[in-house]
Amino acid sequence: MFRLTGALSEQEFLHHVVQRSGQNLLECLQCGKCTGGCPIASEKVSGPRRLIAEILSGMRNEALKNPTWWYCVSCGTCMTRCPVDINMYQVATALCELAQEGGIAPSERDIHLFEELFLKSVEKYGRVKELRTVAAYNVITKNPLKDMDKAVTLMRKGAFSPLEILSGWAKDRKVSRIFALARRTSEGGHE
Amino acid sequence: MRVSYYPGCSLEGTAKSYDISVRHVCRSLDIQLEEVPTWACCGSSPALKMNRLLSTALSAHNLALAERQNLSDVVAPCPFCFRRLKSAQEEMARDPALRQKVEQTIESQVNGNLTIHNLLGFLTERVGMKAIGEKIRKPLTGLKLIPYYGCYVVKPPSVTCFDDPANPTSLDEILRAAGGEVLDWDFKSECCGAGLSLSKPEKVCELTGRLVRDAAWRGADAIVVVCQLCQANLDLRQREIGLTDKKEYQLPVIYFTELLGLAFGCASEQLGLDRHFVDPLAVLKRKGLA
Ligand code: SF4
Ligand code: SF4
Repeated sequence: MFRLTGALSEQEFLHHVVQRSGQNLLECLQCGKCTGGCPIASEKVSGPRRLIAEILSGMRNEALKNPTWWYCVSCGTCMTRCPVDINMYQVATALCELAQEGGIAPSERDIHLFEELFLKSVEKYGRVKELRTVAAYNVITKNPLKDMDKAVTLMRKGAFSPLEILSGWAKDRKVSRIFALARRTSEGGHE
Repeated sequence: MRVSYYPGCSLEGTAKSYDISVRHVCRSLDIQLEEVPTWACCGSSPALKMNRLLSTALSAHNLALAERQNLSDVVAPCPFCFRRLKSAQEEMARDPALRQKVEQTIESQVNGNLTIHNLLGFLTERVGMKAIGEKIRKPLTGLKLIPYYGCYVVKPPSVTCFDDPANPTSLDEILRAAGGEVLDWDFKSECCGAGLSLSKPEKVCELTGRLVRDAAWRGADAIVVVCQLCQANLDLRQREIGLTDKKEYQLPVIYFTELLGLAFGCASEQLGLDRHFVDPLAVLKRKGLA
């Protein structure tokens, strides 16, 4: 277990995470109920308790590179069990924003890639075009035929149409503008 | 009853069976669904992860559009959309500075006075079990069903304010009202791996494996879901799970609205039951239900 030494650097990092996430991590008891129920915790992925310990001890780099917050599916199980109501997925957002601003490369590149492609689709069309996003992901990860047999079966059953990948869609300029304004405000600095 | 309807991206993409069965069930119950005009994606987990302001703004944009419909309630079948709409409305009510930032970002006002429902909650709490029971024409007699809620519709309870996060019962009640035999199990609200389907399929197989194994062991005819992410993850990964176990799993994964539609007397094709990867029609036919 690490203890705070009071150094400015660790205070600052902790302060930023607490401010942005709105979660008072100083209340964390390190009881581990969160990690006990966390579906993505494994030998390689520490889970929320350890991640919070890193933040509390000012281990900025370790925390920003911890794969837990990339894996986090925001299932809310940790918050459901936490005796002090810490919402981990809001901590994940804060860490993701801080890592982006600090120029820290994503520790889970595949998850990051999928999420970027997803948002690109939303930014342009206002809605995510699922098939096109999946196809783009498979091409970029050099696995274009992944799950192709399943896709063909579903297409035959009429679950979706291959034309959806090819056809053009109306753009949603309003949503593109929301993206632009949100980025500008976020970059304009957090208090 | 008229309510605004926010289908979300999946329901017009890979989860059409959910959308058509929802519309059918609501029509049978005399509920008029008014689709939110020009609704946008809620940003799902990618926006929630990467940019808090963007995520809240996208849902606020949808709330603003829904408010202009002048209806008091909005219903979202997708549990993630439901949770995002609800969080956005509540976070803005709690934090005036955030609200101001969000309103500047979407360039419109949000009053924050909508009642936001997930579909399951809307049907059980607002419409009521009595009204549902009265519409049952063809009870699902002899069908052994595993009720699977997943995470987003019940967790975290401080956001969803719905049912019990560890042992929810609303879906059990609906299925029982429809005449089905509801099986008890331990994974009602355990995670299916959600949005990791593409980037971490092995994780999804690990998590859905637990669910499929337990449901099969209990002799289920089908797993019943309220979420299209759960549906896809469970429907598509059974072959891989079977490879690990040296078994062949063929457990249909069905939306609760499809079953409700059947029990209301609607034909299976009209509900989208022919569009799933693991075919549910065989078992439904065997039981004389399709
Ligand atoms: S459950 Fe809450 S208090 Fe316990 S370790 Fe996790 S975050 Fe800390
Ligand atoms: S919300 Fe994230 S950190 Fe918390 S239990 Fe779920 S996956 Fe784990």
